[in-house]
Amino acid sequence: MEILYNSGTLLIILGLPFFLSGTVGLIRFPDIYTRLHALTKADNVGLGCIVCGLALQSASWAVTAKLLLIWLLVLIASSASCHLIARSAMQKNIQPWTRP
Amino acid sequence: MNYFILTLFDIILVLTMLWLAWYLLNTEDIFKAVVLFISFGLLMALAWVRMRAPDVALAEAALGAGLTGPLFLSALRRMNRTRKGERRLDSDENRGKDPKTGPKQE
Amino acid sequence: MSWMHTVFALILLPAIATGMFRILKGPTAADRMMTAQLFGTCGVAILLLLGTGMGTPVLLDIALVFALLAALATMTFVRRTWQYSSKRNHGNPIQ
Repeated sequence: MEILYNSGTLLIILGLPFFLSGTVGLIRFPDIYTRLHALTKADNVGLGCIVCGLALQSASWAVTAKLLLIWLLVLIASSASCHLIARSAMQKNIQPWTRP
Repeated sequence: MNYFILTLFDIILVLTMLWLAWYLLNTEDIFKAVVLFISFGLLMALAWVRMRAPDVALAEAALGAGLTGPLFLSALRRMNRTRKGERRLDSDENRGKDPKTGPKQE
Repeated sequence: MSWMHTVFALILLPAIATGMFRILKGPTAADRMMTAQLFGTCGVAILLLLGTGMGTPVLLDIALVFALLAALATMTFVRRTWQYSSKRNHGNPIQ
């Protein structure tokens, strides 16, 4: 059990830089599409690492199922809203950023 | 140890909420204020969690993220349409007048 | 050992707080709305970590509600607020 707990902690530590890089990308990137890329992909990988780490440390199967359900819902929500925002921005003729 | 870290968490949370509320009350752009209000609702749910009231946090999360946010955004669209001069439900008596100036300037 | 989860939640809190700069200076309205989505995802992670750190498993349900309702505001924004303020009306604050 000690090995499971420690590997869960390691996974959580692995997930934290993804969140921080997602926030840094949201602030630093020059364009709406690149910002969408940073936000939806990096944050969901980070949340996946944290959910897997907590699921390894959890006591019962019900908690594990609930954690995986939370991750699935966040994945569906963020991919759907990312697609909607990107398509709507293309329709409004917002040009993608190119290197000057 | 845990108590100390939770106190630090509370301090950062309260400072962030105060900062956000200051900008929320001071901004002139209404859409920016709406987005700041949605974010404030999320942080308020975290604050209720820290005050050991998870039921209030549940209600705050459901109301703040699911009800008032879309309600404000829909109201914002209705305000923009009214500003453009389209007909509004409560302005039937002003129909013959200049549509640009709405019912306020009569 | 549960104080480590609280430390992780404490690390994630500045990630939310610095995302506020994008709300304040975002050029288009979608940038501001994306930041609200970032708040939702980070909020779910903080709630999960705090639920273990504080020893209250009820927070899983709050995280579930957050995850369920996260897309609602963004979808309302795209379908209602952003769609109809197109090029026909200049001088509109929502671009």
